[in-house]
Amino acid sequence: MTDCPKRQRPPTRNARLAGVLALGLALLLLAGCASAPRLDESTRQAVAPRVLLDEVPFHGQRDYQCGPASLAMVLQHDGVATDVDALIPQVFTPGREGSVQPEMLATVRRHDRIPFVIEGRLDTLLRELDAGHPVVVMQNLSLPAWPVWHYAVAIGYDLGAEQMILHSGMEPARVEAFRPFDATWARSGRWAFVALSPGELPATIDAEAALQAIGDFEAARGAAAALPAWEALAGRFPAHAMVQFALGNARHAQGDGEGAIAAYRAAVSADDRLAPAWLNLGLALAGAGRRDEAQDALSRAAALPGRWQARSREALERLEEEPR
Amino acid sequence: MIKPLRRTLSLLLIAALVLGSLPVAAAPAPADGMVTTQDALAAERAQGDRERIHAVLAREDVREQLVAQGVDPAEVEARVAALSDAEAAQMADRLDEMPAGASVVGALFAVFVILLVTDILGLTNVYPFTR
Repeated sequence: MTDCPKRQRPPTRNARLAGVLALGLALLLLAGCASAPRLDESTRQAVAPRVLLDEVPFHGQRDYQCGPASLAMVLQHDGVATDVDALIPQVFTPGREGSVQPEMLATVRRHDRIPFVIEGRLDTLLRELDAGHPVVVMQNLSLPAWPVWHYAVAIGYDLGAEQMILHSGMEPARVEAFRPFDATWARSGRWAFVALSPGELPATIDAEAALQAIGDFEAARGAAAALPAWEALAGRFPAHAMVQFALGNARHAQGDGEGAIAAYRAAVSADDRLAPAWLNLGLALAGAGRRDEAQDALSRAAALPGRWQARSREALERLEEEPR
Repeated sequence: MIKPLRRTLSLLLIAALVLGSLPVAAAPAPADGMVTTQDALAAERAQGDRERIHAVLAREDVREQLVAQGVDPAEVEARVAALSDAEAAQMADRLDEMPAGASVVGALFAVFVILLVTDILGLTNVYPFTR
C-alpha cells in the first residue's frame, strides 16, 4: 500500500505543465539535431575563405522542374550544348511530378559527362567548390513526414559568414546560412554530385567511388569515351591495381596493345593476386605474339583460385595447344 | 496431380528460356575472352550471375514503370540505357516511393503552420518569406 498524497493538485494544471515541458523539450531536441555543422580544421586551412563560381549559368525552374534546371546549369557550365527544354523529357517523370536521383546521374552520362556522387559532408562540398566544380545537391526543404524534395546547384560559400550560395528554384545566387542548409541537405542523406568531362576528377573522390562512377559511365558510353577518365584516375592512383586494370581494358579496346600491356603489368605489380589482370595481360601478350610471356601470365592467372580460374585455365590450354 | 506438375514445369521452362537468352545482354563478354572492367568490379563486390540477371530483368521493369509514369515511350529506351545496373535495380524496386526532386509544397493547413514554425527556427526552408 502506498500513501496517497494529501493535497493533490488539480490534474489539469499538471497536464498543462507537462504539455509545456514536452513542447519545450521537443523544440530543444529539434534545434539540437540542427546544430551548426562543424568543419574540419584541415578544410578551413585547405580551401579559400570565400568562393563564388559566378560563371555558372542560372535557369529558373518551372513547375516541378528543379531537376532539369539544375542539370542544365551544371552541364552548360561544363560546355554541353543543351537547355532545360531538351532535358525535361530526358529526366523528368510526369507520374512522380519530379526527377529521381538515378536518372539525374544517368542523364549526365547521356551528355558525355561523368557524374561523381561525392561523400556527403560539408567539408567535401566546400572542397569541390574550391576546386571550381559546381555541385548539384538534393535537399528536403520540409520535414521527413511531409517531404519537399528539391535539387539546387551549390556555386559558392563564405566561410566567415557561414553561408552557402546556391542557384535554387527561382533565385540565382541565393544565400543560405550553413545551419539551415545543412539541416535540409541532411534529410536527403547529404546527397550531392559533380558532373565532369572525362579526364577531370573531383577534388575529393576516393579510388573505389571513382572506379564505380567511371565504370558505370563506360558501360553506358563505351571505352573510347571513358579512356581519358581512366588515364586521369591512373595518374592520381598509380598504385591501385583495379584502376590500372581498368585503364588496360580501355586502352586494349582502343587498339593500344602495348599501352594495355603496360597498364596490366602495373596492375599485377600493385596486386599480384588480381587474377583478371593476369588473365587479360596474358591474352594481350598472346595477341601481340609474345607467347612465352603470355604463358607466364596465364599460368599466374590459372593458379589463383576464384571466379576467373576456369576461364584462365581454358585460355592457358588454348595457348599451349597452338602450334609454335 | 498432373496439372500442378505441368504448371510448375511450364513455369520452369519459361524461366529457363528467358534466363537462357539473357546473359548475352547481361555480360557482353568481348570476343577475345578478356575480363571487362564491369565484370571484375561486379565480382569484386561479390555480385554473382544471379545479380547480373536480376539487373537485366530490372531494366525491363524500369522500362515498363517509366511508360506507366507518363514518360514518352520514345525516350524510355535511352533513359534506361544510361542507368547503371545498381541504379536500374534501385528504380525497379522502389520508383514509387523514391525521393523525386520537385520542390512544390502540397501541404495541409496544419502542416503549413508546423512548417512555418520550423522554418523560423531554421530547421526547414519551405517558405522563402521566412528568411
